[in-house]
Amino acid sequence: MSHGLVKRLSLCLCTALLVSSCAKQNKQAFYNTGIIYCSESNPVTFNPQLDTSSTTSDASSHQLYDRLLDFDPGSGRIVPSLASSWLVSDDGLTYTFQLRKDVWFHTTRYFEPSRNFNADDVIFSIDRWRLRSHPYHYVSGGRYPYFESIGLAQNIASVERINGYRVEITLKRRDSSFLANLATDFAVVLSEEYANQLVQAGTPSKIDEFPIGTGPFKFDSYRKDHFIKYLRHNHYWRTQILKDDEVDSSAAQVSTKQRQEHAPLLVEQLIFDITPRSSLRLAKLMTGECDATAFPAQTELEVIRTKDDLILAEKPGLNIGFWAFNTQRPPFDNPDVRRALAAAIDKNTLLEAVYFDSATRAKTLLPAASWAFQNDADDTAYNPVLARKLLANAGVAPGFSMTIWAMPVERAYNPNATKMAELIQRYLRDVGVEATIVSYDWATFRRHLQEGLHDSVLIGWSADNGDPDNFYRPLLSCGAIPSGTNRAMWCNDDYDNLLNKAIQTDDIEERRAIYKQVNRLLYERLPLVPIAHAYRYQAYRNELEGMTINPFGGVRFGGVEKTL
Amino acid sequence: MPQFSLYEEEFHPSPWQRTWASFKDSHISMLGLIMLALFVVCALFAPIITPYDAVEQNIDGLLIPPSWLANGSISHLFGTDALGRDLFTRIVYGCRTTLGSAFITVVLAMLVGVSLGTLAGMLKGVRSSIVNHLLDALMAIPTLLIAIIIVAILGTGLVNSMWAITLALIPQFVHHTRSFVRAEMKKDYIVASKLDGASKWQLFIHSILPNMTEMLVVQGTLALSIAVIDISALGFLNLGAQSPLPELGVILADGLDVTYLAPWNVAVPGMAIFFIVLSINIVGDGLRSSLRKRVSY
Amino acid sequence: MIQILVRYCTLFVLTLLVLTIISFSLAYLFPGDTLENLTGLVPQNEIQRAALERQFKLEQSYIFQYIYYLGNLLTGDWGYSFTSGLPLREEVGIAMPATIELATYAMLMALFIGIPLGYYAGIRSYSTSDHLINSASITTYSFPVFWFALLLILIFSLELDLAPLSGRISLIYDIEPVTGFILFDVLLSDIENKSLAFKDALSHLALPTVAIGAITTAAMIRITRRSVIDVKHRPYIAAAVSRGLSSWQIFFRHILRNALLPILPLMAIQITTLITNAMIVETLFSWPGIGNWLIQAIYQRDYPALRIGMMAVSTVVITLTILVDLFNRLIDPSREKYERATV
Repeated sequence: MSHGLVKRLSLCLCTALLVSSCAKQNKQAFYNTGIIYCSESNPVTFNPQLDTSSTTSDASSHQLYDRLLDFDPGSGRIVPSLASSWLVSDDGLTYTFQLRKDVWFHTTRYFEPSRNFNADDVIFSIDRWRLRSHPYHYVSGGRYPYFESIGLAQNIASVERINGYRVEITLKRRDSSFLANLATDFAVVLSEEYANQLVQAGTPSKIDEFPIGTGPFKFDSYRKDHFIKYLRHNHYWRTQILKDDEVDSSAAQVSTKQRQEHAPLLVEQLIFDITPRSSLRLAKLMTGECDATAFPAQTELEVIRTKDDLILAEKPGLNIGFWAFNTQRPPFDNPDVRRALAAAIDKNTLLEAVYFDSATRAKTLLPAASWAFQNDADDTAYNPVLARKLLANAGVAPGFSMTIWAMPVERAYNPNATKMAELIQRYLRDVGVEATIVSYDWATFRRHLQEGLHDSVLIGWSADNGDPDNFYRPLLSCGAIPSGTNRAMWCNDDYDNLLNKAIQTDDIEERRAIYKQVNRLLYERLPLVPIAHAYRYQAYRNELEGMTINPFGGVRFGGVEKTL
Repeated sequence: MPQFSLYEEEFHPSPWQRTWASFKDSHISMLGLIMLALFVVCALFAPIITPYDAVEQNIDGLLIPPSWLANGSISHLFGTDALGRDLFTRIVYGCRTTLGSAFITVVLAMLVGVSLGTLAGMLKGVRSSIVNHLLDALMAIPTLLIAIIIVAILGTGLVNSMWAITLALIPQFVHHTRSFVRAEMKKDYIVASKLDGASKWQLFIHSILPNMTEMLVVQGTLALSIAVIDISALGFLNLGAQSPLPELGVILADGLDVTYLAPWNVAVPGMAIFFIVLSINIVGDGLRSSLRKRVSY
Repeated sequence: MIQILVRYCTLFVLTLLVLTIISFSLAYLFPGDTLENLTGLVPQNEIQRAALERQFKLEQSYIFQYIYYLGNLLTGDWGYSFTSGLPLREEVGIAMPATIELATYAMLMALFIGIPLGYYAGIRSYSTSDHLINSASITTYSFPVFWFALLLILIFSLELDLAPLSGRISLIYDIEPVTGFILFDVLLSDIENKSLAFKDALSHLALPTVAIGAITTAAMIRITRRSVIDVKHRPYIAAAVSRGLSSWQIFFRHILRNALLPILPLMAIQITTLITNAMIVETLFSWPGIGNWLIQAIYQRDYPALRIGMMAVSTVVITLTILVDLFNRLIDPSREKYERATV
């Protein structure tokens, strides 16, 4: 009797398993309504103003928000976004932005906008990071690393409302990179109405946990280490414009229902599947559990190229991977020690072993794609004999031990920091330095870095805009130490003065000359060893249409469609 | 002239000899034993066997395929890993680390477990009941959980994972020792020694322990296979031994990063763990059935 | 009967108390500052520290703190995770059922495949089919579970594309967790593509269940086989044979039930192994269960989460173990407590 039961049950189980595998075809239509993106880590927050990590901006900037201006992914030029046009005064100090009308914020479970986007939202968004006295400034920590690192808050004299759709920003000094900074991933526009509502409810910090923006997708839910879910923003203004072109000019008053029907550019759902291991991300891409994946490992590129249903897009990236010394800790405060360590490693080997030749050797902070790239810059060379001599002169005894912090996540600029650290460890052993490798999870790692607990760290930087200032200032200026982007903790007045001089002018040649001096200075003081400028890769399934690599910052899914 | 023998030559094999004779008859068991011996030899003589250094990186030879593949080279039998380290060398050293630490773990657990178990078995009444109940309940806590707690307190590392696994293995030994001691205490020969005035300590050393060795060997092999799996699992999860230490689980986890490019980096260490555990299990099984046969005759 | 129940209840409560003491003391054993370990808050100055200590009753005696902790545990105030900032009760509430679900299916698989095969092998002991089953089981039993799971992924997901390799269900479905068991939740939900979702959930379950279940199945086969062989050599079987009963009659009347008895307590041990394996396999299949959660917590040194996670997992395992023991004792009071069969 019990035998029969066993049989029947196991039969049931078997059929169920079989059936599940042959339902592939009819579910395709349903699966086309959503895009799943395998991302590499947890975002720290959903407000990119608060964090410079690309994980955060990937998960928020281009999905949830819009900026006043955008970079054109192809040409890198600054193009209108929420600001439909702008004027710059002759002295280069006053910028007037004309804002778009009929832009709506997200309607979600937790917020329903009563008005559309206007100048108040722009002023709120900028004042939040600009003014210490702003009620929202200290919400969620009160650190705005990107803006702090470039010192933008100090340079803005005022942000004024001219009328409901016109904003005027006045600067104290000329800043040739100002517009570019407004187009970065971090200069997003938040909803002032939502902020007020939260203040009344007494929960202001929700503004960064339950975000409201104008972007193509609205936030639905987030489970740490598992997923982030976004839904289509039915009132997204870009789809609205497209429809206006198609139909007629009276479309401004179309009802909500009609708007929903005319959102051809957006899928219904966007899901970030958080998968830290790159081999697993590729596996999911191959089985179709993900439609696109972040940061394919360099070792996996060949595999992706050989698969017919996968597409590998590549572009030279605006990024730099480097090895930074904590210059506030002896003996790394001594430039000779830094130079010695730099001479102890062979960069070409690192390029080969870590990047598998998908990167170019870095001499300075700037990649060749930048207009200020200096081809004849000085570079350190592999010279262990010199290294040993310099170390001995600096009084560093053989057997000296130091830490190399290897970041735990993959980035285009450093796809495998641990492996690089192991290689460097071996090189350092040759010159009598014992290195230990330190790693934590990403959030802890960056917290400890900011506290300056490291001797040296392998990390890097991806540009947020094409301006050279975007490399030099956040990475090594004094102002960037508290904001935590200056991993070398290096502060040099000459350096800061040069950088300030460079952005006072719009003359490209003049700026180029100044950056040459900067490069020279960096070569002499060597707060960090530039290692590589890597290509940027994005792997996705061929069902996806409209995927492009955004060379400036985060991934974009607005306008990506799934067809099969 | 034929030799004349008054007495028929009578040979009494010792219990161990009888077990061995029966064990020898099973081909599978012998095969397992040979395999295990091979691994032990690898572990003991790792520096002599291996052609390279286990942590020596070789930048010119990254991800060389194993020798049986077309573009492999005979100088690296199992190929190399993502840092150009010889995989064969790392596996041999890995056997040493994994098997060695598992062995130490089991011996430690056995020492503690047997003493506690004997104590529990000889005790009576409330004390015994408390010890028994608690141990039984604690026995149910999964190894991985104990390991996670230990890692949280002491940090990661091979030695810390060994502590965790020792802790997890102790209850088994306690349990078996206790039931064994209890069963023996009721037997006549123990009663006889008691009547002879033997103290508890003497009872244990002279009467119980000699009878217990077989049980301990069998339990030991079981525990060894569990320890090997657990140590490599912790290494694999990055909670135990840390890279670049050659530990089989760690090697496997390292290989996972290059699975698509160099699948042998995952296949070979996995096979190594599998075969170590398999050989231990086969030997343990053979041993048990030989013992069973001996007892039942 | 009542006496047994009372005894097991005391045992249960006592064990839980020991566990709470261990988990309470963990806060002091973890490296670093106790206050920070407990709360995740770093006091800026001494005044703030004193205020926080008062808030979390850290200035009181250990015994008072322990009672306070116990009270918090009972009232469901389990504290907050460092990393996600969510209440731990909520997190455990989501993760725990996922693990239990996986473990249950794996256990069912082990029971429904392992025990029949074990009986078969035991009855035909030392025949070719027995040798085959036995060798297969000892081979499966020797697989390290993480490698076995990797092999399954490689073969069934990447090569044959039969089953997905991560998560409980495709993220595209929006399933409200009601019971925490994905299959039931799908049935209870009101989404439009229910049958698709159900199939999807099943296909997600397939590989992790097999990965965990296979090893327990192998263990089950070995245990059952040994038990059947032991029973076969008992005198009452010989008596039955001499009475002229057919082999089927002997099997159903004598062997079936008598062989099952010593297996039961062994199942209790298997639960522990099963949960351990489930925890490892979860990390490979990104299964959002308690094992995965705990391992993430240890990577991030999320001490409050570890403390509560440890409590939760061990409570579940110990409850199950004690229940199995109790059940075993109720159906077979003659058996001496904790006597177990051998493999």
